[in-house]
Amino acid sequence: MTEPLLEIRDLHKHFESRSGRLFGRVKTVRAVDGVTLSIHVGETLGLVGESGCGKSTLARTVLFLESPTSGEIRFQGRQLKEDEATRLRRGAQIVFQDPYSSLPPRMKIRNILADPLLIHRLVPDDQVGDRVRSLLQDVGLSPDAETSLPHELSGGQRQRVGIARALAVQPTLVVADEAVSSLDVSVQAQILNLLKDLQAEHRLAYLFISHDLGVVKYMSHRIAVMYLGRIVELAPTDELDAWPLHPYTRALMSAVPSIQERTGPRIRLEGEPPDPGNPPPGCSFHPRCPMAQPICREETPELKEWLPGRVAACHFALETTGSTPVEVQTDGRQAESGNGP
Amino acid sequence: MSDALPTVERIAPREGSAGARALRGIARRPVAAAGILGVIVILGASIFAPLLAPYDPAMQDLSRSLLPPIWDGGSADHILGTDPLGRDVASRLLFGARNSLVISVSAMLLGSLLGLTTGMFAGFYGGRLDSLLMRVGDIQLAFPFILLAIAILGTLADRNAIDLILVLGIPGWIVYARVVRSRVLAEKEKEYVMAAKAVGATSLRRLRRYVLPSVWQVVPVIALLDVGFLIMMESTLSFLGLGLQPPASSWGLMLAEGRKNMMISPWLSVLPGLAIMATVLSINLVADGLADVIDPRLRKGSFRRRLLRTQASAEGAGGDRPSLLAVRDLSVEFPLSDRVVQVVRDVSFEIRRGETLGIVGESGSGKSVTALSIIQLLDSPGRVTAGQILFDGRDLARIPDHEMAALRGRRIGMIFQNPASSLNPVLSIGYQMAEAMRRLKRVPVKRIESECRDALRSVGIGDPDRVLGQYPFQLSGGMNQRVMIAMAMTAQPDLLIADEPTTALDVTTQAQILEQLHEITTEQDTSLILITHDIALVAEHADTIVVMYAGQVCESGPASRVVSDPRHPYTRALLESVPRAELEAGVRLKAIPGELPDPAALPVGCPFAPRCPSVMDVCTEVNPPPFRVGSRHSAACHLWAPEMRKEVVS
Amino acid sequence: MVLVVFAVVTIVFFVLRLTTGDPARLMNPPGTPEDIITQTRERIGTDKPVLAQYGEYLWNMVRGDMGTSFRGDTPVREAVLNAVPNTLSLAGITVVIGAALALLLGGVAAWRPNSLLDRGVLAYVALAQATPAFWLAVILVLVFSLRLRWFQAIDLTGPKSFVLPVTALVVTLSPVLIRTVRQSLIETMGEDFIRAARARRISERRLFLVHGLKIAALPLITLIGLQLGFLLAGAVVVEAIFNWPGIGKLILDALASRDFPMIQGGVLVAAVVFVVLNLLVDQVYGLLDPRIRVHAR
Repeated sequence: MTEPLLEIRDLHKHFESRSGRLFGRVKTVRAVDGVTLSIHVGETLGLVGESGCGKSTLARTVLFLESPTSGEIRFQGRQLKEDEATRLRRGAQIVFQDPYSSLPPRMKIRNILADPLLIHRLVPDDQVGDRVRSLLQDVGLSPDAETSLPHELSGGQRQRVGIARALAVQPTLVVADEAVSSLDVSVQAQILNLLKDLQAEHRLAYLFISHDLGVVKYMSHRIAVMYLGRIVELAPTDELDAWPLHPYTRALMSAVPSIQERTGPRIRLEGEPPDPGNPPPGCSFHPRCPMAQPICREETPELKEWLPGRVAACHFALETTGSTPVEVQTDGRQAESGNGP
Repeated sequence: MSDALPTVERIAPREGSAGARALRGIARRPVAAAGILGVIVILGASIFAPLLAPYDPAMQDLSRSLLPPIWDGGSADHILGTDPLGRDVASRLLFGARNSLVISVSAMLLGSLLGLTTGMFAGFYGGRLDSLLMRVGDIQLAFPFILLAIAILGTLADRNAIDLILVLGIPGWIVYARVVRSRVLAEKEKEYVMAAKAVGATSLRRLRRYVLPSVWQVVPVIALLDVGFLIMMESTLSFLGLGLQPPASSWGLMLAEGRKNMMISPWLSVLPGLAIMATVLSINLVADGLADVIDPRLRKGSFRRRLLRTQASAEGAGGDRPSLLAVRDLSVEFPLSDRVVQVVRDVSFEIRRGETLGIVGESGSGKSVTALSIIQLLDSPGRVTAGQILFDGRDLARIPDHEMAALRGRRIGMIFQNPASSLNPVLSIGYQMAEAMRRLKRVPVKRIESECRDALRSVGIGDPDRVLGQYPFQLSGGMNQRVMIAMAMTAQPDLLIADEPTTALDVTTQAQILEQLHEITTEQDTSLILITHDIALVAEHADTIVVMYAGQVCESGPASRVVSDPRHPYTRALLESVPRAELEAGVRLKAIPGELPDPAALPVGCPFAPRCPSVMDVCTEVNPPPFRVGSRHSAACHLWAPEMRKEVVS
Repeated sequence: MVLVVFAVVTIVFFVLRLTTGDPARLMNPPGTPEDIITQTRERIGTDKPVLAQYGEYLWNMVRGDMGTSFRGDTPVREAVLNAVPNTLSLAGITVVIGAALALLLGGVAAWRPNSLLDRGVLAYVALAQATPAFWLAVILVLVFSLRLRWFQAIDLTGPKSFVLPVTALVVTLSPVLIRTVRQSLIETMGEDFIRAARARRISERRLFLVHGLKIAALPLITLIGLQLGFLLAGAVVVEAIFNWPGIGKLILDALASRDFPMIQGGVLVAAVVFVVLNLLVDQVYGLLDPRIRVHAR
């Protein structure tokens, strides 16, 4: 097995917030709470989760856009400290979600794309213009877009500029943080296909983050599922699809609206999404889990390899035929049990 | 590889430099233009004072003391009269303008420079520097600086203009610092600044090239207003004897002298004040105009219902089918300042009792506007220009306001997209529910509270008492939406319109809410119009689907059929471009090339023609009406025109 | 809060010392023989080193002793404490009338934006904002006291004497309040939740008066807090013109007669009162806005 391009070990990112008064309580939000994963050259690792699970924070921390609280980040085999972040900047880049706020509103497209070239002195000054135009063509935009300001372009066009900006330094890893979530459906597929083509052409690795399971499945070789700052399951895409191990993964897949007829019953989660500043004890998913047992409240499950290449953080990962409905620790309502195939 | 068009279509016209835009903007506003005129006059007066003044302002002539102005019996020698020492009032006014402006502008420059630099660095770098600066600022703001200014100036042995400038200018830093700092903080959080960091820009570079250009525009307006304020302050201090010392010309000093001679020479008291007023007013008008140009407050729709007064077309006026709501040929337009945007064109659909109708479309499709038109809550200046909205035999677009008000909420309910912003943030849930209950249901006052509790329980909220006492910001999105549903269903309406009710929610919450909606509408036999951009959602939850594109209906029919056998190329393309679990590995999504059309510039013919894989010549000339393609299934596409069908093998 | 008062007290002390140099010299006309100046110094206690003076000053403050006036030997504290209520009454009435006017005119203007009424209100606001308080006071005296003889021009002599000073203050204070309420109302009425409430059949009138005003009132309170400084400046000037026995006039007179202990005492008390009022306004705001009130729990 070749060495991974990016390796994260037990990464933590905590935020502290005061309650407002001078001597108020300090609340710690563990946005990223011990994440370990790796991405290989040319592969797409999908990261899926709902709001508050910490996936965007993870994206930023991995690139040192936020300072990690603890943990190891290794890129191309070398462990990086925060002050070495600039090494990372040539190798790893990011594409953001909101096409409206991810481009500086008063800079011409030409200058937006030229800046990374100038900062890293990648091309001689007289060739900057040519390189900018060729970047634009690589992402499917006409070279005359270079004189425009961002608000003169559509959302899809702006997102292409964002991708071009990321490609300017010729990285080997691109983090796509909800890169298509703000686009109209008819434009989403264009951008997804563009990303796939660029991956093939430049041997790019992607960390593809989204709340949209369908999009993540389309783009990724492997998928990681995130809940309240932790990875709860990680598996190759088709295996995850066929047989999800973690109850949250199953609920997530069941909740996504589908055009086809449903196989198997619907799993409806009860209760409210958890407060990241006040996580439940033990397994953070247990209050909403249809399969929860007393041990789930006491012991936090580790991410274990239950089958070759498949990890999940659940005490009962392989028990897909759990038949006993269980008392759930929310406002006293029974939850349906999730029966898998 | 590229799915793009050969040329980039400009979305908005080029604008030119900031300065040119500002001037053009102000020129369009007559009031601001008047202000500019005033400012020019004052500037001219102060710059050219030595040339314009008929006399030396300090020249005394006791023989000509307190002469009246020309309209009060004076002579042309001293048009505006003289002061107690015989000095010419007009000349003193002119030089007073010069002194006022010099002092005020200098003080403004001092304060703004201090404030801009501190605000920028404090905002951008944050940390201890920022905390310190803000503490100092807090104390300064809490402190009545005017007192210190008075005390300092009053005790200084020998006052001169520099002292005034320092005392007036330095405290001004806090105003600029605060505003600049908050702008910097806001911009710093935006993704483009983080993107610059990702690309390798140092913090100084980020501040200079990325943040600063978006921040400095707030300063000119504040600076202008500051100059006006400082002119007033300088005059006040001079009036109190704490500003410029005689024999300097100052409007404030002139007023102090005038006050002593109010009985004899009232005009001495009036004229300097008028000068101050005229100057400050001009400056304020320019500042207002500038502020408006820089940041035009796009007033988010006020509401005024516009009745449609044209005669309804005779065709199919109700009665032939038992439908609850029948929308016929609805057209809605939004007149803007320079053009009219057709947002909805000839939209028709029906919904029966107890049925769930799903309207699917992307941005610009007109789905939300259609929904708002049904319940007659369009934001002005939008208005319905044609068509009928037949509800229970009445045309909602044409009935008088009081009839519509009786229906709204009671027979037709609506819930909106963003639950957090659909509730008043400073009123409790209980208050808003009780308010709704009073308006929608005949409930005796004593029973309102228990009715509210029941209503919350009916939407799956297990502890209603706690929720009733809370405020919207304390509840999650899902909870807020449940509250909205409860309120909308209070009067058991015949029709509920849900405009993107789950778009702002997580997928797992979305599933809960949709199930809740389904339960409660089935229970009460309420028809539901479900509006969304997610075709899979309507496939799962709706009986009938209406697909909209660029303000028109392209296809409508039973959900299962539309999804399994789409007839309109857009519907088909949409289904093929959405990633689905069933897609085998390696199969590529079929993206729809091109961009969504600009509603203000729709092409002739079918709006989907530029992107359609099956486009024909007729498509770019004639906009196809809906053609029947099955039982209750129609598609607005020339492929299905009767003449075509003879040739097409179905 | 104690911290801020302490900071105020300290600032007043040092700034005054800094700018006035030697108060003893200040208080005597130029050319006074040195021994008289030394006497003065002893009398007001500035012959000791600065820090000792500061310590004594603080100790005196705690005991409530602000020294005696240089002119007339009256205790500073008495004079100052007599003057403060007069200024507060003037300011208080101004704020109440100003806020009421803001809600009334701002509301009327926002009800139908761009109507004739709205434009009228905006025109008044533009003119009033450009009017200097002291000039308006002088004109009011000219017209109403001297020419028409409706009001007494000077002194605090009963409720009728409030009319002119308060008018001058209200006219100069209210424009910014009116604009804020108007702007806030217009923006609030365009918000999503207003439209959602309309869908629940809530009447336009109720939407405006209950939903709209409740939200629009909040920035009004903040603004009043911010305008306190401006109000004080206006009060000083108005007191000077109308010979109103408030703290502003006290300080001005003390400045004119170089009465250092009085200057110090007056500025100090005025500053402290001002700061306390500011903090009170903050508290009121916190109570009214549930978003703040709830989080503080």
